Amino acid sequence: MSFDHGELGAAATIGRGVRAVPELRQGLGLTVFLAVIGAAGRVTVPIAIQQAVDHGLRPGNVDLGRVVLLGIIASTAVLLATTAQRFAVARLGKRSEYALYGLRVRLFGHIHRLSMEDHAEERRGALVARVTSDIETLTQFFAWGGLAWLLDGTLMVLVSGVMLAYNWVLACVAFVVAAPLFLVLRFVQRRLVLAYHASREMNGSTMGQVSEVVTGAHVVRSYRVERRIIDDTHRVAARRTAAQVHTSRLAAFLFPSGELFSVLTVAAVVSIGVALGPDSGLSAGALVGFLFLTYRFLEPIAEFTEIMDQTQSAVAGLRRILGVLDMPVGPAEASTPQLLPPGALGVDIERVTFMYRARPGVDEEDVPALIDVSLSIPPAQRVAVVGATGSGKSTMARLLSRLVDPTAGAVRVGGVDLRNVANADLRGRAMLVPQEPFLFDGTIETNLAFARPGLSRREISNAFVRLQLDDWLFSLQAGLDTEVGERGERLSAGERQLIALVRAYLASPDLLLLDEATSAVDPLTEVRIGRALEKLSAGRTTIAIAHRLSTAARADRVLVMDHGLLVEDGSHEELLARGGVYAGLYAHWLDATGSAG
Amino acid sequence: MTMAPNPPVERQRSTLVRGFLLARTLVRMHPRDFAIAVFGAFIFGSCTVASSKAIEWVVDHVILPRFRDGRVAVGAVVTGCMLVICIGLVRAVGVVLRRTFAGIVKWRVAQDLTMSVVERLVSQPLRWHQRHQSGDLIARAGVDVDMATEILSPLPFAAGTVLMVVMSSVWLLLTDIPLGIVAVILFPLLTSMNVIYQRKVSPHYRAAQAQLGMLSAAVHESFEGVMVVKAFGAEAREADRLAVIAARLREARMRTVSLRATFEAALDAIPALGNIGLLIIGTARVQSGSLTVGALTSFLYMFTLLVFPLRLIGWALSQLPSSLAGWDRVREILDEPIGADPTEALLAPAPGIGVDLRGVSFSYDENTPVVRDLTTSIPVGSTVAVVGATGSGKTTLLELVAGLLAPDRGTIAVAGRSPSMVFQEAFLLSGSIADNVGLGGQFDGAEIDEALRLADATEFVSTLPTGAGTIVGERGVSLSGGQRQRVALARALVRRPEVLLLDDTTSALDPSTESRILANLRTALSSSTTLLVASRPSTIALADAVLFVVDGTIRAHGTHASLLESDADYRELVEAYEHDRDAP
Repeated sequence: MSFDHGELGAAATIGRGVRAVPELRQGLGLTVFLAVIGAAGRVTVPIAIQQAVDHGLRPGNVDLGRVVLLGIIASTAVLLATTAQRFAVARLGKRSEYALYGLRVRLFGHIHRLSMEDHAEERRGALVARVTSDIETLTQFFAWGGLAWLLDGTLMVLVSGVMLAYNWVLACVAFVVAAPLFLVLRFVQRRLVLAYHASREMNGSTMGQVSEVVTGAHVVRSYRVERRIIDDTHRVAARRTAAQVHTSRLAAFLFPSGELFSVLTVAAVVSIGVALGPDSGLSAGALVGFLFLTYRFLEPIAEFTEIMDQTQSAVAGLRRILGVLDMPVGPAEASTPQLLPPGALGVDIERVTFMYRARPGVDEEDVPALIDVSLSIPPAQRVAVVGATGSGKSTMARLLSRLVDPTAGAVRVGGVDLRNVANADLRGRAMLVPQEPFLFDGTIETNLAFARPGLSRREISNAFVRLQLDDWLFSLQAGLDTEVGERGERLSAGERQLIALVRAYLASPDLLLLDEATSAVDPLTEVRIGRALEKLSAGRTTIAIAHRLSTAARADRVLVMDHGLLVEDGSHEELLARGGVYAGLYAHWLDATGSAG
Repeated sequence: MTMAPNPPVERQRSTLVRGFLLARTLVRMHPRDFAIAVFGAFIFGSCTVASSKAIEWVVDHVILPRFRDGRVAVGAVVTGCMLVICIGLVRAVGVVLRRTFAGIVKWRVAQDLTMSVVERLVSQPLRWHQRHQSGDLIARAGVDVDMATEILSPLPFAAGTVLMVVMSSVWLLLTDIPLGIVAVILFPLLTSMNVIYQRKVSPHYRAAQAQLGMLSAAVHESFEGVMVVKAFGAEAREADRLAVIAARLREARMRTVSLRATFEAALDAIPALGNIGLLIIGTARVQSGSLTVGALTSFLYMFTLLVFPLRLIGWALSQLPSSLAGWDRVREILDEPIGADPTEALLAPAPGIGVDLRGVSFSYDENTPVVRDLTTSIPVGSTVAVVGATGSGKTTLLELVAGLLAPDRGTIAVAGRSPSMVFQEAFLLSGSIADNVGLGGQFDGAEIDEALRLADATEFVSTLPTGAGTIVGERGVSLSGGQRQRVALARALVRRPEVLLLDDTTSALDPSTESRILANLRTALSSSTTLLVASRPSTIALADAVLFVVDGTIRAHGTHASLLESDADYRELVEAYEHDRDAP
C-alpha cells in the first residue's frame, strides 16, 4: 500500500481530482466569465487617466465636461465590474466549500471501510491528516490561490491586452524588462519554502520539549532537574529563533525585488516611449497610462510566485487524498453473499495461514502470524486460546471476526466461508471484544447505544441487571449518564472492559470473540468481569483469547498456540495431565499469582 | 487560576489602549531591533512619497514636453530615470531593513516569552500542575505566545504607513487644498472599511476554526475507535455522524465567503472611485491653472501606491483582540505566584526510622479528603507494601512522602529528606538511556550500568543498537511499557535513595521479572526504606509489612499473614485473585 501516488503527474492529479469532485465543475464557466468582467474594472482607472490626459487635459484647452463624462462612464464600469467580481468570488468560494465537503464525506466512508491493517496505530495520524490537514491545503488553495489564479490571471491577460493596444513595442519592452522578476521570485521563493519548513520543524521540536516539561512535571520535580530542563528548552528555543530569523531575512528580499523591477520597468518604458515619440502613434496619455498599468502588471507576479507553492502543496495534498480513495477496502465485500444459518454458530478453520505485511524499514518480508492451522468448534462451545505474546492468539480473533482475511486457507462460520458472508450480516452475528476496548467521549449510555440503533434506556439498564452489574452501575455517581471522558479515561481499565461486555451483550451476537486484557485490574472489578462473562457467554459460541489461565480453566476446551502453530488442543484437565506446554504455563502462573504467605 | 492584577481597570481600557500597552511591553524587551525596523519603515514611507514626486517631475519635464512640444531633452530623460531608479533602490533598502528587523523582534520576544512560561512551569509544584490541563499549559507556551507577539510584526510597517499618510496629506494640502481634502477623507475611510471588514469577518473565521478543531477531534476519535465501529457494523452511521460535523464546518466557512466577496469588491471599488473623483477635481484645478498635469498624475499614482498599505493597517488593527487574548493567557501563567515547595516541609525522622507520618491529611478540595489522619512509622531498611482498592489514596500517600504534595495537616519525616519515587507511568525524556538514568546527576558509567542491572534492564539494553547510549523517546527507539518502567526504576536506584517509593511500578512486568527485581533491591539496597504500592499477592508477600489503606485512612499496619487472619476486608481484597484462580 502507498499513500503517495508519486508516479501521478500534477496535471493528471488535477484531472483525476476534478473527476473525483464533480461538484467543482458546476457553473465554472459563468464564474470565469464574471471574473473577466471583474478584472476589466481594474484596468478602468489607467484607461480613464490615459483618456483624460489625451483628450481632457490638453495644454491651454482643458475640457472639464469631457473628463466628467469620462468619470461617470468609468465609475459605472467600476461598479459593474466589482459587482461581477463579487459574484465570481462568492461563487468560487461556495462551490469549493461544497466540493471539499463532498470529498471529506467520501473519505470518511472510505476510510472506515479500510482494513484493520491500514488502521494500524502508526498510520492513524496519516489517515486523520488526509481528512483534516490535506483537505485544509485544498481549502487554503481555493480561498487564496485558486481565487488569485482566477482574478490575477484574468487581470494579467487584460492588462497585457491594453498595453499591447496602446503600443506593442512599449508593451514588449515592459514584458522583457519585467520577465526576469519571475525567475528571481521563483529562486527566492524556493529557498523560502525550505526555510519555512525548517522553522516549522524547529517549532515542532520546541513544542515537543515544552510538552515534555509539562507531562513530565512530576519527574522533573521529584528528580530536581529543573535547571537542566530549562537549559535544554533554551537550546531548542534558540535554534527555533535562528530558523525563524533566517526565514524573515529571506522573506525581506522577496517583496522589494518586485519594487525594483517595477522602477526598472517604469524607467525603461519612459525612455523608450520618449524615444519613440508621438510619430509612432503613441500619445502622452498612453505613456502615463503605462506607468499605472506597469504597477497593475507587476502586482500579480509577486502574488503568483506565492500561489505557485500553494498550488504545489494543494496538488500534493490532493494526490495523497486520491491515494487513500484508491486503497482497496478490506476485507472485500462478497459479490454473491450467503446468509449465515440462525442460532449459535460453529467455526471451522481450514488450513489457515496469515501473514502480516512487512512494515517498511522494519521487516525484511511479510511476517507469518498463523501457520497452517486447522480446527473445528461446534456451536455453543466455550473455547479458550492460550499462548505467549506473538503466538498468533489475537490474529485468530481478528480472522474469526473478519477484520482480516487469511492469506491461505478458509475460515467458515456456520458452514459459510467468511469471504462469502455480507459484512452487515457478519457484524450482527459475530462480535469481537478487544483487549483495550475503546469508548467514545460521552456518557455510558451513548457508548452502549452504539451497539444497535434504536436501543431504549430501559433495555440498556436491563442489560446491567442480566449481567449482574447493576450494583456497579448504582455505585457510579451519575449511573448511565456518567461521562466516560476521552477514550473512556475517566473509568478504570477494568470498568472500560465492563462497559465493553455490556455493549457486546446488547448486540447479542451468536459468536462471541473475547480478547482478554493483560493489564491488572483491581480484584473486585476482576470478580465482576468474571461474573458478567459467565452470563454473556451462556448459549453462545465463545472463543476467548485468554491471558489469565483461570479463564482457560473454566473453558470447555483449551487451544494452545505457539509461534503461529496450534500445538495443543483439549480440556484443561486433559492438557494438565499431558504435561506439555500448557501444563508448564499453568504451573508458572500458579506460582506467580499465589500468595506465598 | 489567578487573573491579571487589576482586572476591573483592565476591562475599562479600550482595546486600542491595551494594545498600545502590550506593544510597549514587548518592544521594551528588544528596543534596538525594533528601532532599526521603524527606521527602515520611515525610509520606505518617505521614498514612497518621493517616488510619486519623481513621477510628477517625469510627466512635467519629460513626457509632456516630448509629446506636446516635440522636444527631446536627453538630460531630462536620464535625470528622470535615475531619479525613479535611485528612489526605488533606497526604498528597497528600507523594506529589507524593516522586514528583517520586524521579524527579529517578533521571534526574539517570542523566545523570551516561551522561556519565561517554561521557567514558571518547572518552578510550580505538582499540585499546581494537577490543577491545570497539560494541553492548555503547552498552548500557553506555544500558540498563545505566538498570538501575543503577532502584534509586533506589522508595527514597524504601520508606523511607516502612518508617516506616509501624514506626509502625503500635508503635501496634498499644501499643493492644492480641495484635492487634499478629498485625500484626507479617503485615507481614513479606507482604513476604517478595512477595520470594519476584519472585525466582521474574524468572528466567523474563529467560529470556522473552532468547527475545524471539533471536526479534527471527532475524526481522530472515530478512526481511533475504528475497531468498535467495525465490530458493530457502524461504518455508515459513523460516516453520517462525521458528515454532520463537516457540514457545520462548511456552513461556518460559507458565512465568511459572502462577507469576504462583498468587502473585497468594495475595497477594490472605493480606491478606484476615489481615483476617478481625484481625476475630475484635479482636472478642474488644472483648468483653473492651480495644478500641473504632472502633479495630478503623481497624486493619482501615490493614491494607487497607498491602497495596499492602508489595507494592511486595517488588518493589523483587527488582529489586536486576538493578540490581547493570547497575552492575557500568557500573563495568567507568569503572574501566578509560585507555590511553596513541599519538600521544604519534610522533616528528618528519629534515628532508625525511615518514614514517619503524624496525623497527615490531604485533600484536593476542602470537602473530600483523599487521605485522612495518617499516622505510622516505618523502620529504616524495611519494605512496606501499600495495599488498597482503586481510589483508596495509595498514590497520594506516596506523593506526600515523596515531597511532591504538601499535607494540609500533620507532619512527614523522611530519612535523607530526598526520597526517589518511581511512577506508575514511566516517563522518559528524549535522550539516551544513560541520560535518562543519570538525569542531571553526576554518575559514572559503572554506576549507571549497576542501576540498570538492579532494574533487570541490562539484558534488553544490551540488545539495543548502542546499548545505554541509545536514544529513546519521540525521536528515538521506542521501548515497550515494561522496558520503560525498568529504565525509570534504574533512574531511582542509581541515586541510592534512603527512601524508595514505587507506585505500582512493577505490576506491568511479568511476575518472574518482578520477583527478580525485588530480590535485587533487597540485597543491593538493604539499608533503604521502600514503600511500594502492590496488588499481586506474590509481591505483597515479599514485603516486611503491609499498610492496608481503606478510604484514605490506614486501616491496619502489620504483616501479610497477620492481616489475612485478622481483617476480613483485607482478606477479601487480596483473595479476589485467588478466588478467581480457584474457581474452575
